[in-house]
Amino acid sequence: MIRPPRFTACLLGVVLLAGCSGIKTYPDASPKNLLVRTEARSGSILGGTRVSVHIHEVDANCRTQYLGTVQLDEPTVEIGIPQGRPSYLVFNFYSSSFLGSSTGSINYETLLLPRAGYIYDATARYADGIYYVAIRESGARGSAGRQVARRGLAECTRRS
Amino acid sequence: MALPIVRTLAAATVLLAGCVTQHPQNAEEFRKAAPGAFLAKMETHEINRSMEEIGATFQERAPDCLNMRVRTTSQTPGSYQVIVSLYKPTVVVTDQRAELHLQRHHERGVLAVTKEPEGGYYLMVADAYPVDANRSRLQIFGPSMGYDVIYRAIIGWARGDNLGCPDLTKTG
Repeated sequence: MIRPPRFTACLLGVVLLAGCSGIKTYPDASPKNLLVRTEARSGSILGGTRVSVHIHEVDANCRTQYLGTVQLDEPTVEIGIPQGRPSYLVFNFYSSSFLGSSTGSINYETLLLPRAGYIYDATARYADGIYYVAIRESGARGSAGRQVARRGLAECTRRS
Repeated sequence: MALPIVRTLAAATVLLAGCVTQHPQNAEEFRKAAPGAFLAKMETHEINRSMEEIGATFQERAPDCLNMRVRTTSQTPGSYQVIVSLYKPTVVVTDQRAELHLQRHHERGVLAVTKEPEGGYYLMVADAYPVDANRSRLQIFGPSMGYDVIYRAIIGWARGDNLGCPDLTKTG
């Protein structure tokens, strides 16, 4: 049984570690326009894979500022990304083996410039060591839409 | 009494050193060396797509999925290891074949003991040859253990049925 002083110390440690990690929850104040469908299967019964997306705003000089992270721990998660200006999305696939003896983290980054009146449907899939991210844009009236090409940060000044 | 052990260790060291006096310096040397090398292999797959289609998919997917810097950590009681690896893919498409080369340079955690080609040691070479207008033969040269995710990704790209990226933290 954990005695109260030890419990308090553990709690304090967890809070401090969480603070040091630099991860914060994305404020998600914009109207919901990005639906992320997530499937994660590590391929090992002794390990696991967690998926999240880190969201950064991007200024006119292509500099990023981290806004926060959304844990993609449900099959579908809706997120509000500001319209009319670029955001930098970093999908993170974090894998750990039994008892965390080895870990790996891999990212898929892309710029997204959400347009007013459009919704974005993203797939983030991880299965047996293969990951896949794709984003589709479609009009609010149910048009077929188009695949959004992956864009690096250097392309942040391109308006399309 | 320790002398036989010393001799055995010395002999083993010489033999091991003899195994890796030089690594392939280009893709052609890698193709020649891999089939007979220790812990390396060459595998062949029949693909129901043209060589041109395979080459186009390699050109689309390889830069997106393999041009990466990867950091992995492993820890056991008493040790903690961090390895940072830089992967570099190259795709070459000619009339004869579509080639995908993958090189890896360790920036941290692994020593380079032999001369390293520019861009890193060759890790894998995949070649698609035309069989007819709609079929190809895919040959992949690479390690025999620990790199299954890259083999599966390359085969998925060649077939066009899985365009996902390999998790490069799952290699080695």
